[in-house]
Amino acid sequence: MTAYLVAILTSAGFYVVLALALNLQWGLTGMLNFGLAGFYALGAYASAITTETAGLPFVAGFAMAVAVGAVAGLAVAGLSARLVGDFLAIATLGFAEIVRFLALNEDWLTRGPRGFPIATRPIPEGLSREATAWAYLGLVAALVIVAYLIVERIRTAPMGRVLRAIREDELVPAALGKDVFRFKLQAFALGAALAAAAGSLYAHWVQSISPDHFTTALAIGVWMSLIVGGAGNNRGVLVGATLVMVILEGSRFLTGVVPGLDAESLSALRIALIGVLIVVTVRFRPEGLLPEPRIRLETPAKGA
Amino acid sequence: MQTILNAISSAAIIAPAAVGFTLLFALFRFANFAVGALMTLGAFACWTLNVPLGLPLWLAAPGGMAGAAAGLWLADRLAYAPLRAAGGATLLLVSIAVALVVENALRLGYGGQIKGFDLPLSRPWLLGPVRIAPEQLGVILVSAGAVAGVMLWLGLSRWGRAVRAAADDPGLAAVRGVPVGRVHAAGIAGAGALVGLGGVLAGVDLAIEPGLGWALIIPVLAAAILGGIGSPMGAVLGALLVGLAEEVTALVMSPSYKAAVGFVVIVLALLLRPHGLMGRELVRK
Repeated sequence: MTAYLVAILTSAGFYVVLALALNLQWGLTGMLNFGLAGFYALGAYASAITTETAGLPFVAGFAMAVAVGAVAGLAVAGLSARLVGDFLAIATLGFAEIVRFLALNEDWLTRGPRGFPIATRPIPEGLSREATAWAYLGLVAALVIVAYLIVERIRTAPMGRVLRAIREDELVPAALGKDVFRFKLQAFALGAALAAAAGSLYAHWVQSISPDHFTTALAIGVWMSLIVGGAGNNRGVLVGATLVMVILEGSRFLTGVVPGLDAESLSALRIALIGVLIVVTVRFRPEGLLPEPRIRLETPAKGA
Repeated sequence: MQTILNAISSAAIIAPAAVGFTLLFALFRFANFAVGALMTLGAFACWTLNVPLGLPLWLAAPGGMAGAAAGLWLADRLAYAPLRAAGGATLLLVSIAVALVVENALRLGYGGQIKGFDLPLSRPWLLGPVRIAPEQLGVILVSAGAVAGVMLWLGLSRWGRAVRAAADDPGLAAVRGVPVGRVHAAGIAGAGALVGLGGVLAGVDLAIEPGLGWALIIPVLAAAILGGIGSPMGAVLGALLVGLAEEVTALVMSPSYKAAVGFVVIVLALLLRPHGLMGRELVRK
């Protein structure tokens, strides 16, 4: 049971990092990114190719993943940041699908649908199974903390104010002399790099990646974390991601309890449930469980 | 020649749904991703009438269209209508959620196995160097007829004029006495029927399974964007070009990239000519 919990917490950690990355891009800046799974996959494959094909240590793979993620983020945002709302969403969705097609078809590089086995590990060899699992959990937790601190710091910094202003109405910060395009590029690239970092760690945790790991269904789960938890609020994101994980994992136990429910219809039911939850949340509580904190205006001191 | 014929027949499958998608965008101003799942719904409704109930396909097809229209109406009542005031991005997200619900409800109801319509096996005709299957010809003719019918309806009838007026500016249309609510309902019925027909045509050509819509939504979207979103004529032109691009790519590259073509078309169209071939430039602040 402990082993199971450790495994769930570890996989929840990847979700949280992805959700934080999306919170930076969409929650704060308002840039719709449906291609998050693509950046996640890019990080995983960049890391796998660096460590396995080129034979470098994990640190190099991780650095490579972050760099590739940031560059891809800059490229996607640079090409499409001038697009508004819906169209950016479609372009990013296209990016994720193209990454998946490349991973599926360019066998010489990615080993295609059979999967890419990864032997390099970020932790010392010779630990017991249990200690290994705990060590991975520690690494993921560290990544979550770093990602949280970065995104939270940006949120409260002057940059966060500009990003929120861009989300509400691009014209206002532009009129105040802010370079809106550059801020958008930065926010998008940083989010992409975070997603790629999560992908790298994920690849070395599961030790075999294939394009099936990085589907739109994954991205929808991350989106739901944000919507249900409360976009723009990093603590809300933590709550949302945990909730999604509980739903995804908890419903696994229904197979034995409800008669006539096989694995396939259970997974269908699960995804349908996520869809219903998104619709219901957007309709009845659009601000999410933990709404974004209102910014308090400075009130002049009394009697002054 | 064969390539051109294949392009026309893939265009015939996506054109009705692309026109439906673009009509919905014109009326409600958001990219409705549920169109793919509704095509699947239309295909399954038609299959239910055709195979288990034994109706001939020409009788079952209107059932598929009605099924998709009813699904769209229900989605509109439950999910879209209460959010009309929200932005296009919110509605886009909600439509993806709707697509997930529809797709997985179908998977729950019908299981994941591949299904096909009850069609007589037939030998393709050879016209000189070109091979054409009778079903293929049927798909092309039905699709062309339906699209032409909708164009005439939009262009010539009173209701068509009202739909165009409500799409241009609902407030102004209402002031001039157009019953915007009923026009929206007519638009949903018409677009839903077109989308359902697209699903039925796809079911004739491809295997019917719950994930069918995800493979179709991208070319449909590409056709609508390339043609100029909101322009039905443009959507038809876009469908032809996307069909051609898919077939030509299959000649020079591994056919597994065929599905990526739609995305490339979308990205290029958005970058080079965001208002599409036949769309009007949207006025932005």
